[in-house]
Amino acid sequence: MDAEEAGRVTPCMVSTGFFVLGRCGRAPVAACGRCGRPICDRHAGPGGVCPECAAAQGYSSPYDPLWTSGFRRHHYYSSSTTYSDPGWYGSFDDYDRGAFDPEDQGDFGDFGDGDDRDFVDS
Amino acid sequence: MLRTMFWRKTRAAIAGFHPLHQTLIWEHTLSATMPKTEWAALLASLARHDALVRRRKWRLPARTESVLVPLIRVLCEDVGRGMVGITADLRGHGVPGKTGPRQALPAVRPVRRAEQWWVTDAWLSARSELRDGSVLTLAVTDVVRYRHIVKVNPRGKRKSKTKTKGVQRIQTSRSLAKGQTPVRPGSPPPWWIQVKVRPGGKTVIRAAAKVPLPADRDQLGVIMTAATEPFRWTQRRRAA
Repeated sequence: MDAEEAGRVTPCMVSTGFFVLGRCGRAPVAACGRCGRPICDRHAGPGGVCPECAAAQGYSSPYDPLWTSGFRRHHYYSSSTTYSDPGWYGSFDDYDRGAFDPEDQGDFGDFGDGDDRDFVDS
Repeated sequence: MLRTMFWRKTRAAIAGFHPLHQTLIWEHTLSATMPKTEWAALLASLARHDALVRRRKWRLPARTESVLVPLIRVLCEDVGRGMVGITADLRGHGVPGKTGPRQALPAVRPVRRAEQWWVTDAWLSARSELRDGSVLTLAVTDVVRYRHIVKVNPRGKRKSKTKTKGVQRIQTSRSLAKGQTPVRPGSPPPWWIQVKVRPGGKTVIRAAAKVPLPADRDQLGVIMTAATEPFRWTQRRRAA
């Protein structure tokens, strides 16, 4: 990769910080398997997903270095309500929020209208 | 001699832990100012605790996992090359030195004796040099009132009762970098958070909260909510 090409490459877009938000900005090594944003080797989690997508997939312990991403989103969402300040949560971007979007939590299929055959007497 | 006969493997495991981790086990206290790499080493040591130490007597204080570890993680996220200082006293309210003098209260029959005392437990303080040049400080103090009443009924039967009422004071401040100007947020904080701004070369934003003593599981949320206020006073932008 020459210098000109390196200048064109989108850097790692993972959000860093908790109260003082920023971007990682390091050289990317892959794209997140879920949201597609470029991620560096430091932020590539298990399964090749970014920290936000990894946190959105389930509970993690505070001992896990990636725990902060999930807690940050939870805290911004709840404190935005406590402060009645939508702009506070609005300081997150689509990537930060998107992984936790309830509409994106998996397709459970169409249950349809249903009929009596769906129920079984026990 | 007898003391070292039992739990030898566990003692050996504890000896291999981070020195601050050992202090937390033996004394239930922690006090250090370190860069984030050192804190990461401490967290790695704490993460091994439950797997290696099964003895109840040597388990970590409850607030270690619910408050201390998450707080270290959060503070280390925002610190650049600066230091993070944390002092935690997780011994609880009942230890000597935290209890104030006992005061006698006026007693009316059948109450024979009534007294009250206060316990002041400043159990957490932190200071963090953030990467935007500002400095965050945090202090959490539990203030608990104890009231002890002794009653005697007409047949001489004695009954005693102790009641407690606790509040928690959380004080946070953020000293902005030189030249950084504060911007008043669009909405006021909740009624239980008071804010003071001291303008000057280095603006200081102070937020103080007073809440009923929260349960362990809610503790981190209350602290973080109070700590949020000073950060609403600066324009939020990120390096793209």
